[in-house]
Amino acid sequence: MTASPMTSQKPADLVVIGAGPAGLAAAALAAGHGIRTLLLDEQPAPGGQIYRGVTRTPIGDPRVLGPDYRRGQDLVAAFESSGAKRVVGASVWSLTRDAEAGLEIGYSVAGAGTLIQAPRVILATGAMERPFPIPGWTLPGVMGAGAAQTLLKTSALVPDGPLVLAGTGPLLWLLAVQYVRAGVSIGAILDTTPRANWRAALPHMAGFVRSSYAIKGLKQLREARSKVRVISQVTGLRALGSDRIEAVAFRRGDGAEERMPAATLLLHQGVIPNPNLASAAGCAQDWNPDQLCWMPRTDVWNASTVDGVWIAGDGAGIGGAIAAEHQGRLAAVAALSAMGVLDGAGQDREAAPIRKALAGATRGRRFLDALYRPADQFRVPEDDTLVCRCEEVTAGQLREAVRLGCTGPNQTKTFLRCGMGPCQGRLCGTTVTELIAAERRVPASEVGHYRLRPPIKPITLAELAAVSKDDIPAVAAER
Amino acid sequence: MAKYSIFSLLRNAASHHQNWDRAWRDNRPKPDGYDVVIIGGGGHGLATAYYLAKEHGITNVAVIERSWLGGGNTGRNTTIIRSNYLWDESAALYEKSLQLYEGLSQELNYNIMFSQRGVLNLAHNLGDVREGMRRVNALRLNGVDSEWMTAEQVKEFCPIINISKDVRYPIMGGTLQRRAGTARHDAVAWGFARAASARGVDIIQNCEVTGIRRENGKVVGVDTSMGFVKAGKVGIVAAGHSSVVAGMADLRLPVESHPLQALVSEPVKPVIDCVVMSNTVHVYVSQSDKGELVMGAGIDAYTGYGQRGSFHVIEHQMGALLELFPIFSRLRMLRQWAGIVDVCPDASPIISKTPVDNLFINCGWGTGGFKATPGSGFVFAHTIARGEPHALNAPFGLERFNTGHLIDEHGAAAVAH
Repeated sequence: MTASPMTSQKPADLVVIGAGPAGLAAAALAAGHGIRTLLLDEQPAPGGQIYRGVTRTPIGDPRVLGPDYRRGQDLVAAFESSGAKRVVGASVWSLTRDAEAGLEIGYSVAGAGTLIQAPRVILATGAMERPFPIPGWTLPGVMGAGAAQTLLKTSALVPDGPLVLAGTGPLLWLLAVQYVRAGVSIGAILDTTPRANWRAALPHMAGFVRSSYAIKGLKQLREARSKVRVISQVTGLRALGSDRIEAVAFRRGDGAEERMPAATLLLHQGVIPNPNLASAAGCAQDWNPDQLCWMPRTDVWNASTVDGVWIAGDGAGIGGAIAAEHQGRLAAVAALSAMGVLDGAGQDREAAPIRKALAGATRGRRFLDALYRPADQFRVPEDDTLVCRCEEVTAGQLREAVRLGCTGPNQTKTFLRCGMGPCQGRLCGTTVTELIAAERRVPASEVGHYRLRPPIKPITLAELAAVSKDDIPAVAAER
Repeated sequence: MAKYSIFSLLRNAASHHQNWDRAWRDNRPKPDGYDVVIIGGGGHGLATAYYLAKEHGITNVAVIERSWLGGGNTGRNTTIIRSNYLWDESAALYEKSLQLYEGLSQELNYNIMFSQRGVLNLAHNLGDVREGMRRVNALRLNGVDSEWMTAEQVKEFCPIINISKDVRYPIMGGTLQRRAGTARHDAVAWGFARAASARGVDIIQNCEVTGIRRENGKVVGVDTSMGFVKAGKVGIVAAGHSSVVAGMADLRLPVESHPLQALVSEPVKPVIDCVVMSNTVHVYVSQSDKGELVMGAGIDAYTGYGQRGSFHVIEHQMGALLELFPIFSRLRMLRQWAGIVDVCPDASPIISKTPVDNLFINCGWGTGGFKATPGSGFVFAHTIARGEPHALNAPFGLERFNTGHLIDEHGAAAVAH
């Protein structure tokens, strides 16, 4: 493709944001077709969250992180040989669409801001851990299981002292197995999966049994259960302590109260699409009542409602790493077609095998969604639990605001400053939506979400004042 | 309405603050309709309803708001209150408003957190200096407090400001209005809502006006998402969406709607105890009670209804701001937003009767509506009640765009229109 005079001012014809499986696969496919492709990623090395640090993890024993993790190496290798450029350590804080200028991306590398124009963008910004608001979840020593896994992958760091894992979902079991293999002793796994979930999941059992998840998952479960004390149907979970967590209290399935010492409590109840960049860019979001989260509205080609923006991977709805990869490729094929590199027939031809693989990769998801649907009490907490950590707003205050006539998350800002702290509602957004919906007895879709605006990450005034609009600055260019 | 006082605070403390009354009644439209319907539940609309009840005894009034009270520009501005306008007409109107603000917390029995911390307008070149001195004199002739300050005096008043000469926009002096300051914007809306509700005004939230019904050239009511509401008179106070609402009565307004941006930093300890504005570089900054620096930028040049702005506008202004306040460079900016401002060709508002009988309009406040809230409500209530403008808003009629008696306040807005 020959670049038009307009696009020659732009560093790339396609910009991919996020170097997880979706982003890596999308960039590699597009660059393989000779398109000038630029990949922006916040981390110093590619891999996203699932393959975090895959090229440079200090963990020498491949058994610890497991064979699935190594799949990331192939993705990175394919990307590196594709000819796509990348900027590492690039925090994207803005994506806007202007009628004249088209899409504009603002990002910072090492404190220097840059604005670039991008004719087409694939967002592969992935997922974030679902907030897990319980009493005491703000105490030092309580953190997300995903965050703990990141420390394990990138730096081989493991928790010290009595360790408790609590929650539900595949990642909790995976982390438990990884810790066991790394020689970490786990005090207990508190499984919060409600018994009723099994009944809801059963109809989807057939699909699950034929999926790749089945054998892998069962093996992990067996390995974790054989080495660690697992307590099922846990409710009433609380982290106790004054300056930091000292113990975990909970109710067992048989109704008995129990308390155990803990220096670290790792919480997890699944992941949700990270809504920040897509929402700030103006992509329409819908509430997904099965996955209990906001999802950007995308078509069969993963195109969002904003012209020229595709969303692939877990950021478009949780489907797992393999599905993300295929979605990334699908979005890239659609972008190539939009650029005129592929014609309609070519697009369908390229997409056919990807769609087939994608169907295989998403098989069994509905079973997992139903089984690991987080319990109501851990999504919509009791009155004394903090919901907005930044401004220390409790669930009780939010309920009171609703009784006073507060109809949605944006109004809670006026009433309570909820969602106005340093995280700007990125963490509490889903909880606030569900809580207001429950209190008003209306669907979450009617309640809506916080208005998210750029910058989606805090940037200093100096960065903002010195935003460069040239090509990619030399220091930040590919490493 | 239960009076707020130290005693009510103590009494409610005894019941753990669980039994406070609602601040205002949440109404649905009355089937019989109203004497006056105000479209728009922002500060100006609520103030209008309050003064209709208080000054004119008209209490069969409804304020109809599409979303929630103060959710539009009332909740999106940078909360600055001042009255340092150049022309006699504007100075009188804004000074009336400032005077009302000075007694408003007591009058409404609601703490609007009005803080007369002083507003400094910087001069960066000889043109600014001459204009500033002229303004000081004009204001003093109109009885509005104002003083000229040298660069050194500016530094003394606001120690973190950089007055060195080797910057792009050096400070050559400034004007200071000591009675000016800030107030909590939500509280202004809530205070007026509570006081108006106590006097019998109906406050109807989450109700969108979809049409203005007329018979024989006369307004008879409004169609809303809650059905038809009969009204003797209708006042439009819809800020950025005034053109849209006026269009429902086939009225075309000489206003353009632009996004006006503001941004806020992470909270820090007190560093700046006044408001600093610069007309030349188009920035204004103050510190909120929470400790965040609240910064305003210029309006985007293009028209639009998106409540968001463009980065290139802020980028230029932040560059200049950091020259003025090098101490801010490492502050993190958390949030940026925009409100829709409706701007008249002469940068002055319209508070007026309209060619449609019994239809009144209050709009075109551009970037300066918040400071005018009580004054705007006061004169608009008079206009609606009497069918004729108050002496203070007589110059601000719609007809001035035909007569040519414009009130050019492009200079006073502090943000170029």
